[in-house]
Amino acid sequence: MNPLQNALRARQLGPYVCSRCTKQMRHQRRCYVTSTAPSIPEIYDVVCVGGGPAGLSLLTALRSSPATSNLKVALIESQSLTPTSNFSLPAPQFSNRCSSLTPASVQFLDRIGAWKHVDRERVQPYEEMQVWDGVSGARIEFLWPQGEKGKTIAYMNENSNLTSGLLRRLDELGGVNVFEGEKVGDIAMGEDGKGLDLRGWPVISLKGGRKLAARLLVGADGQNSPVRQFSGIGSRGWDYGRHGVVATLQLETVGADDGKVAYQRFLPTGPVAMLPLPGNHATLVWSTKPEFAAHLTTLGTRDFMAMVNAAFRLSPVDLKFMHTMQKSQAGELAWREEHTTFDKLRIPASVIGVQEGSIASFPLKLRHADTYIGERVALVGDAAHTVHPLAGQGLNQGQGDVESLVKTIKYAVTHGQDIGVHMSLEPYNAERYAQNNLLMGVVDKLHKLYAVESGPVVPLRSLGLKAVNALGPLKHFLMSQAAGTGVKIL
Amino acid sequence: MNTIPLRQTSLRNLHLLLRSAPRFVQDQFRPQSTTPSVNPTEVSHFNALASTWWDPNGSSRLLHLMNPLRHDFIQACHASQPVPPSSSNLKFLDIGCGGGIFAESVARLRSTGSVTAIDPSPEVLAIAKGHARRDPGLQGKLTYLNTSIEGLLPPKSIEEQYDVLSLFEVIEHITHPAEFLDSCTPFVKPGGWVVMSTIARTWASWLTTKVVAEDLIGIVPRGTHDWDKYIDEDELRGHFLKERGWNSPQVMGVVYVPGLGWKKVPCSEKAGNYFFGIRRDE
Repeated sequence: MNPLQNALRARQLGPYVCSRCTKQMRHQRRCYVTSTAPSIPEIYDVVCVGGGPAGLSLLTALRSSPATSNLKVALIESQSLTPTSNFSLPAPQFSNRCSSLTPASVQFLDRIGAWKHVDRERVQPYEEMQVWDGVSGARIEFLWPQGEKGKTIAYMNENSNLTSGLLRRLDELGGVNVFEGEKVGDIAMGEDGKGLDLRGWPVISLKGGRKLAARLLVGADGQNSPVRQFSGIGSRGWDYGRHGVVATLQLETVGADDGKVAYQRFLPTGPVAMLPLPGNHATLVWSTKPEFAAHLTTLGTRDFMAMVNAAFRLSPVDLKFMHTMQKSQAGELAWREEHTTFDKLRIPASVIGVQEGSIASFPLKLRHADTYIGERVALVGDAAHTVHPLAGQGLNQGQGDVESLVKTIKYAVTHGQDIGVHMSLEPYNAERYAQNNLLMGVVDKLHKLYAVESGPVVPLRSLGLKAVNALGPLKHFLMSQAAGTGVKIL
Repeated sequence: MNTIPLRQTSLRNLHLLLRSAPRFVQDQFRPQSTTPSVNPTEVSHFNALASTWWDPNGSSRLLHLMNPLRHDFIQACHASQPVPPSSSNLKFLDIGCGGGIFAESVARLRSTGSVTAIDPSPEVLAIAKGHARRDPGLQGKLTYLNTSIEGLLPPKSIEEQYDVLSLFEVIEHITHPAEFLDSCTPFVKPGGWVVMSTIARTWASWLTTKVVAEDLIGIVPRGTHDWDKYIDEDELRGHFLKERGWNSPQVMGVVYVPGLGWKKVPCSEKAGNYFFGIRRDE
């Protein structure tokens, strides 16, 4: 028998790996492969590139479901996973990279057994949203009706808390071949060997020399996804010409007893949001012009806090002026605050501290891949779409992708389909593409609508916001959509 | 022209088929090849289709889309048994496997031990073999043989018999369906199943498969179907249940809805495409 065949047989190929290997896989927990690189590719059913929330959820879901737990899976992550695994910050500190998780995402994470591994002490649910127009002051208050009071709209959570929880769950499940700290050198199609024709299979060459052939290659590798580029799937969109400034804040008060509130004010430069974290902490997401963002990150703590407080209180004109001040924003705010009227009960508590080193800024874009699937390729999360953070949907869209892709894979496995071929993957693309496109469109239009400072649009959008506020059922619908628990509109 | 004498038993069971099938009557008197179940014109038709067999957007798309339902149907047949079948090492014999759409898929299932898939067309079988090489998971589980059922050595023991014998979209291409089905019997284990899918001989199936699918939209290549050879569900049921050692017939009607795919529709077996399964007495 030729060496290729021998090698392949020895490795027990297959979608549904033989019982000997399954046993072996159960025994090895997460195995960190270090042996030397062979020239013949190792055969996997699923190779996931990218160990972020989307990639880790995908592997966790595949490993935790009996139908898919026999698949031979690998994770390739260019960074070391150890820091994420051991994620912990001293109690009063929080990472500045937070995301809101909808109840739908949390339910999914719970079903795959990951939610119980997330440190709940660091997760903050909120039950109310205050959203208002910075120019006209028109406001929409998202409060649940009496019967549903206390229902969670979303959970604020540090991304690292989620990924470390997912890694702990994966450790518990075992059976994933993890290649961490390994960069993808090249992805090319396989070759036609004597016993086996891998010309239709992507083969991933790691910089370390190892080669992995994938029945299904999943790109969970972020905005600039190398997997997407390999598969020739285009990605369209635009830059908003805005940067998002994030920071972990300390507030004057803990907040109301009957639940926490998320605040968002639409300013002509972009929305500014303050989202609750446990205790008197909150996380800031302020999207604004790049030059303003750059300046904000250079301010001293006192002046930065003054700018944040001003962003929720002063008029856009005052705020614009303060953006241009080199320093002493704190004094300026004290003076201007006296001459501005605002409803203290409907704005966030004053910021009294900023966690050291937590101020950061990143460019905002909209990107949408032309399709999420190719032959033996599927894209999930940011590799498929990047959305404006104003609705807090980015990470949840990724979780939705993963849930749908795993459902598609499960159906394919139980019906004997090759999980990698385009036809098997079609239901995933059909289910997610239109849904994500709609959501991205709505979020994009909201951003553009509120970027207008004057003219007829301002009273019109205020009228719209007031009308929505007055219409209970419509508001309830919007809240259910935000929470991801409403009726699917697509 | 040589005439082939018809056996009495076949005549008795085929009278329903013959009544409304003039073409079929002619076929009865055609010269018989060495593989009597196989019709040479059918073989050459499928030879011509071989290259497009695995193109998911080609002429076999409808078959690809139907394939998951075949598994659902087999599961339903197994679920109807008083004692469920083994969950591992099941043996399958797929007759008229074509490019191997079903054969490959059933070989991938965890509960499958081995699959033998046969087809009389060498071109089609070459496609099937070439395609199976693309999936390392199929090695050792799937065997293709270029033969008809008559060319296959009958099993000598229960161990050599099959748990499931499948005839998907086959029976409507067979010249002598009753004899063909009889020749399949020795291959099925006691308590095993014959599962098949075909099309009822109705005005609706003539309209959808001949006029719409082949002539108007052209999603199925012209000449794929021979309406006269279509068989109704009650004809199959009658064939098996008449002193033949079979029980528990199962049926599932399916309809192709453009934009939605194949859907199970109760009672649609009377009108168009349907699955039929029957269990051999234990």
